[in-house]
This record gives sequence, C-alpha cells and structure tokens, in this order.
Amino acid sequence: MLRRNIRMRREYLYRKSLEGKERLLYEKKRKIREALQEGKPIPTELRNEEAALRREIDLEDENTAVPRTHIDDEYAHAAEKDPKILLTTSRDPSAPLQQFVKELSYVFPNAQRMNRGGQVISEIIESCRAHDYTDVVLVHEHRGVPDGLIVCHLPYGPTAYFGLLNVVTRHEIKDKKAIGTMPEAYPHLIFDNFSTKLGERTANILKYLFPVPKPDTKRIVTFSNQSDYVSFRHHIYEKHGGPKSIELKEIGPRFELRLYQIKLGTVDQAEAQIEWVIRPYMNTSKKRKFLSD
Amino acid sequence: MADSKDAGEEALRRLIATFQPSFLAPNPALSETSRAASRHLFSALRPFCPKSPLDQLLIDGFDAEQIWQQIDLQSQPLLSSLRRQVKHFAKNPEEISKLKVVPLGKKVEKEQREDWVEESDGFDEELEDDEEGEGKGGEEGMDIEDEDEEQGRESDNEEESEGEDEEEKGEDGEAGDGGIEDKFLKIDELAKYLEKEEENFEKAEEDTRGKKGADDEENTEDDDDDDEEEEEEEEESDEDAEFGFGGEDAAGDMENARYEDFFGDKGKYSKKMKAQLHQESEGSDEEDDDMKFKKQNKGTASTHQKQLEKIHSKIEEMEKANLEPKTWTMQGEVTAAKRPKNSALEVDLDFEHNVRPAPVITEEVTASIEDMIKKRITEGNFNDVQKAPKLPSKVPREVKELDDNKSKKGLAEIYEQEYVEKEDPTSAPLSFRDEQKQQASVLFKKLGLKLDALAHFSFAPKPVIEDMSVQINVPALAMEEIAPVAVSDAAMLAPEEVFEGKGDIKEETELTKEERKRRRANKKRRFKAAAVKRMGKKVQEGALPNQMNG
Repeated sequence: MLRRNIRMRREYLYRKSLEGKERLLYEKKRKIREALQEGKPIPTELRNEEAALRREIDLEDENTAVPRTHIDDEYAHAAEKDPKILLTTSRDPSAPLQQFVKELSYVFPNAQRMNRGGQVISEIIESCRAHDYTDVVLVHEHRGVPDGLIVCHLPYGPTAYFGLLNVVTRHEIKDKKAIGTMPEAYPHLIFDNFSTKLGERTANILKYLFPVPKPDTKRIVTFSNQSDYVSFRHHIYEKHGGPKSIELKEIGPRFELRLYQIKLGTVDQAEAQIEWVIRPYMNTSKKRKFLSD
Repeated sequence: MADSKDAGEEALRRLIATFQPSFLAPNPALSETSRAASRHLFSALRPFCPKSPLDQLLIDGFDAEQIWQQIDLQSQPLLSSLRRQVKHFAKNPEEISKLKVVPLGKKVEKEQREDWVEESDGFDEELEDDEEGEGKGGEEGMDIEDEDEEQGRESDNEEESEGEDEEEKGEDGEAGDGGIEDKFLKIDELAKYLEKEEENFEKAEEDTRGKKGADDEENTEDDDDDDEEEEEEEEESDEDAEFGFGGEDAAGDMENARYEDFFGDKGKYSKKMKAQLHQESEGSDEEDDDMKFKKQNKGTASTHQKQLEKIHSKIEEMEKANLEPKTWTMQGEVTAAKRPKNSALEVDLDFEHNVRPAPVITEEVTASIEDMIKKRITEGNFNDVQKAPKLPSKVPREVKELDDNKSKKGLAEIYEQEYVEKEDPTSAPLSFRDEQKQQASVLFKKLGLKLDALAHFSFAPKPVIEDMSVQINVPALAMEEIAPVAVSDAAMLAPEEVFEGKGDIKEETELTKEERKRRRANKKRRFKAAAVKRMGKKVQEGALPNQMNG
C-alpha cells in the first residue's frame, strides 16, 4: 500500500514534469494547424519537424488534442465519485468554532466532522487517504471568530488557503423557528465572476467539494466574487405562481472568503510547490484583481 | 477726647444700622455720620502708625478725594507693617497664643491687632454684601454718585478693603464664616495666595527686578478671570512690591525709581532682557494704573501688551522644547526598544494600506447578490459538477452456460477443434452464445417478414443475406483503463502450459561437467533406442511388402 502510493505519486510528478514539453508540442501543432487552415506558409522554425507533427495532427482525436494537465489528473475521478469530506479544526477549538464547524458539516453534503484532539496533520492526511476521503477541510479561528479555511484535495491534490471575514453563523440568529432546520439535499451551485484562469482554478477547487445534484433541488449554494472577496451564501428558493416569482430564504452561515495561497500538494507537505500566493505589499496589488478581470 | 470718641463710635454704630439702599441717594445727614465714623476709625488706627503725618482725619471743608487721600496716607505703611507681623506669626506660631482677645475700645499694645481684626470682622460682616456685589462697581459708580456718597462709599470701601486685608493677612483660623465667604471669596485661598505673593516678593528682593516683575505679570495673567477681591490683592501686592522694593519707604518711591531697581546691574545682560523689558513696561504700566486706582481691565495692561506677553511666553516654551530631546513620535525610525512600553497603543498611527479593505456587507450588497441568484435560477444556469459519461471499464463477461445435453460432437472432434484454435486463433468457431444470438435474429426476421406482409409490404427492406463468417471468440472492444492502477502482466497461458517438467531446471550454462555428461549419455541412449525401433519397423514393413508381393 505504501509502495503503491509512492509509485503513484512519482507517476503524477513525472507526468507533471512532462507538461512543459507537452505544452510546447501542443503549441507547435496548433501553429501548424492554423497555418494549414489559413493557407499561410508554415513558420520557418517548424520546418524540420513539420512532417512528423502533421502526421500526429492527422492521427489525434479529441482526447489527445488537448494536452493533459496535472489538474485533470487531480480531479480525474471527481466527476465519477461523490466527494467525501472530512471537517476538522485547529487544536483546542473554542465553542463558537465548534458550532461553526458543525454548521459547515451540514452545508457540504457527505461531510464528516471530526474532533481534532492532539492529532498531527500528517496523521490526519494518512488516515484520510486510507479511508478514501477526497477532501479535508480545516477551520481556524481567532478568539471564537472563525478566520481561516484550508481546503485540501486528497490524492495529491491542491490545497487552497482562504481567510474568512464577516462570518455570521446560524447560531447567532436567536430566532430558531424562523431559520428552521437545514435541508440535506444536494445543492445547486452558482459561481459568479470567476473569469481569470486563477478564478477558474479556485472555482474548481470549491466546486468539487459538492456532489452532482438532482436537477430539481431547491437548495442553492452561491460563491460570488467581488474584487477578490468571494461571498458565500446559502439559500432555499420557492417558486410561487408562474410569473417568474422566486422567493429566496437565506439559511446557513454567511461569510466572505479571501484566497491567499494555492499549493500543489497536500497540507502536510510543507515544501510543495506554490501555485499562487497573495502579494499584499506590492505597490500595485491594490489596483489588480486576481480572480476576476 | 472721650466724648469725641463716643460720638465717633455712636456715628459708626448708626452707620452700620442704616438701611443699606439709603446710601444710594444723597443725604447730608448720612454724610456727616460717615465722616464722623471715618474720623473715629482714623483716630483708632493712629497709634499703630507712628510715622503718619496726620494725627487726625481732617474732615471739615475737605471733599471726598482729599479725605480719601488722607486715609490712604495712613493705611499704606500700616499695611506693610501688618504684613511683617503676619509673617512673623507665620514663622513663630506660638506667639499667637500670647495675644489676648480684647473687646472693642481697649488699647493694649499687642492686643490692638486682635481688636482691630475683631472690629474689622464685625464691620466686614455688615458691609460684605455691599462690597461683594459692587466692589468694583462702587468705585466705578464714583462718577455717578454724589460726592458725599462717594466719600461715604469710598471710606467704606477703603475700610472694608483694609479690614479684608487684615482678615486675609490674619491667621488662617480667623476665616470668617457665613457672610464673608461665598463662591467668589474664599478666605483660605486668599490667605494662601497672599503668602505665595509674599514669597515671590521675598525672592524678588534677592533676584533682579525683572524676575519679580515677571512673577507679578504671571500672577496678574493667572488672575485674569478671578474675582475682584483677588484683583485688589494683586494691586496691593504690586503696591507692596513697590514698597518692598523701596524698603520701608512710604508711597512716593515710584518717582525715585532707578534703572537699577528695574534692571538690576547695568553690566549684566541676560538672555531674557528684551522679554523682561516688555514685562517691565507692562509692570510699570500696571503700577501706574494701580496708583491711579483705575480698574479698567482685569490685568490692567493693554491688549497689545498682553498679546506680546503671550507670544513671549510661547517663544520661551518652544525654545525650551527645542533644547530637549524630541518625543519618540518625531524621531524617524523608532524600534520598540527606543520608545516607552505600550506607547504605540496611545498614538494614532497612520499607514497607507496596500490591500483593498474588506467589503462591508450592506443591504445593497446582499440585495445585488440575491438578484443575481434569482436571475440564475430563472435561467437555470448553474455551475454544477457534470457527471462524466461512464465508459465501460470492463468487457461484459461472458457467462459460461452449461449445456447438459449430450454433445453432438465426438471427443476427437472437440480436441481437433481446440488444436485448430490454438494454432490459428482466427479460426475459432461460433460460441454457444453467438449461436443463440443467431437463432434469435433468424426468428425475428421471419416474424418481421410476416408483419410486413400484414402491412401490405409498403416498406420492404432489403432482405439481409447472411454469409458464413467466422466469429472470433475475442472481445470486440479492448478498452483502455482510464487510470490503470496496475498493469497486469499475466500471460495468456497458465504456467504449466508454458512448461511442463519436474525437478530443478537448469540451463546449459549452469550445468556442471558431470551433469553435462549425464545428459549427453541420456540423449545417446534415447537416440539409440529410437534408432533400434525404427530399424525394427522398417524390417517389419520391409517384410510385409515382400510377403504381399511374393
């Protein structure tokens, strides 16, 4: 089992390392294809390899035309298997944080909450791999207020680090009757204004935490991006009458997410490659938006 | 003498007893009474001022101003001597107890002071109300009222102020209760203030004149908002300064003042000369004003002088601040070690933040998000996870069906068929399953034909001609695993089909010499045996044809 894991990881890394070459090849093929379509002469730097590349172009089908990336490897099985999530906290959580984590375990379908106790992160990851979990979510706090969220996709998946702001939990709402119980149907998802590549990547990371829903569920989970702050909202809707009247009722916690790092490894791998990290002290960072245009 | 004295006392009593507002209207009888009372008081005080030129207050034919000046002539040296006495008592409190309290009229050397204080106490209590409201007003009203009234008033005021001074300069225990103290006048404060003034005055006698002037100025500045009593004190303190400076001389030193009095040694030039000059001029102005007993402004200095004063004090402060080391907030780069503990918490630090501030979730923001959600719902445009098309990962296994009918083929034919398959995989016959399929399709075609006939052959599909084709028992689709977890390298043949043998298999190169010899010997033996058998066969065969032919 261990040797199998090691081998699989090495294969994954090898394929990741090949990506650069594959991408080059893909670019060359693309240039040739364009030149052929437009009837222009083939660019001179590709003259030598042109024959071989042309043959490959003829032979490729839709699977091989697009180069496979490590992202596809990471989420290869995501569409087939339902995700299985483990939720836990930092060490020695306060009561409000525990309540928040309990709420989150209802938000994500097929999620399991676990007490942290004194476990080390590497232990947690090992046991999750062994039990076939797809994701681990850690929640951190500051004096009772949840302030950090770490989403780690499991086989060797990416880890996304978010900061939480403006957290409003269901426990804070005093009127228990008004809010009712949390429905457990698989929700529809809405991702709004994730237009850059990094935005797509983040949206994917969050998307694959949820399973495939039924088309007629009434439960909606929304991630709406506004200048790099992603708002999480959780609603139930009802359609009264015909004329496009929709009534939204907000349930569930509400918070803002702020992405500050994506790492290409699991949480316990400290030396994993950093895909993207926030740069708050750069002078132009105030003017730039990374998740949208 | 006694008569006059009695008359005087009588007058005083009558004056005290008069109805207060009657002083407002001119009244010759009242003025006579007040003059008599003043004279009486003057005479009473006469023994205490040995140097006074006047033995008696001259009231006949003199107007208010002149009487006032006579009183002043007597009171000024009196005040200074009183001061000295008070200081003496302050230093030696035990002497106070030696003083005896004597009722009005008795003249004992030491006790006179006490009387005096008592008397003035009583007097003060009566006239406190007047003075209180109108201390300044009274003097200002001088112009308004008649001369007679003025005289009476002035004398009253003068006496009262004297009395107050005495009271104030008396022991602290002598604080008048009830009528004298109210929210403006606090006797204790007055006493303390006077003592402070005297201390300053003492210092000034040793220091230069300028410093004293500065102190006075400051005092006057400080007391700007105080009430009239303290202003009076100031005046008196200034007056005393005058007097003190000139020693015990009578009022009249102002004319004899010299440069040295003001500026000390001519040779010395200190930094603050200019400032002092200004202060001096202010001081002298003030003294002149005092001497004229005009109370125009609070500090009795012109506005310009006061402004200049303020500016100079500010300049002094700023110069002093510049000489000291700066506060840590002004020092450029400051580490935590260089500033006092927790001082950064008190200061309002200002940074330029390079991150966009966190969004405040207002009603509008929530409404906009909800609108977007509603729009998406109506469109049905969700970003759900799409289910991937499920590719069959394995070929549907062939179900081995057991046919319990007797096999139509003989065993030899079965073996023959297997051999042919092994040699040439393409020549495999139809499997049981395929046979069934074929039968089913034939049946269906028949049925179809009949149905078409019923439908009058409006559509007659081309009849399918079946030709004999060999179907191979090999999976039609060999699927590639999406994520080959393990590539099975199991061969098509079972191990025993690959090799049949027993024992330890050794290769040519592994054999020892004996082994090789043994093998060769075995081979030879077998070859020989085979050769013999062949020979035997040939002989037999050779014999038969001979027999058949022959």
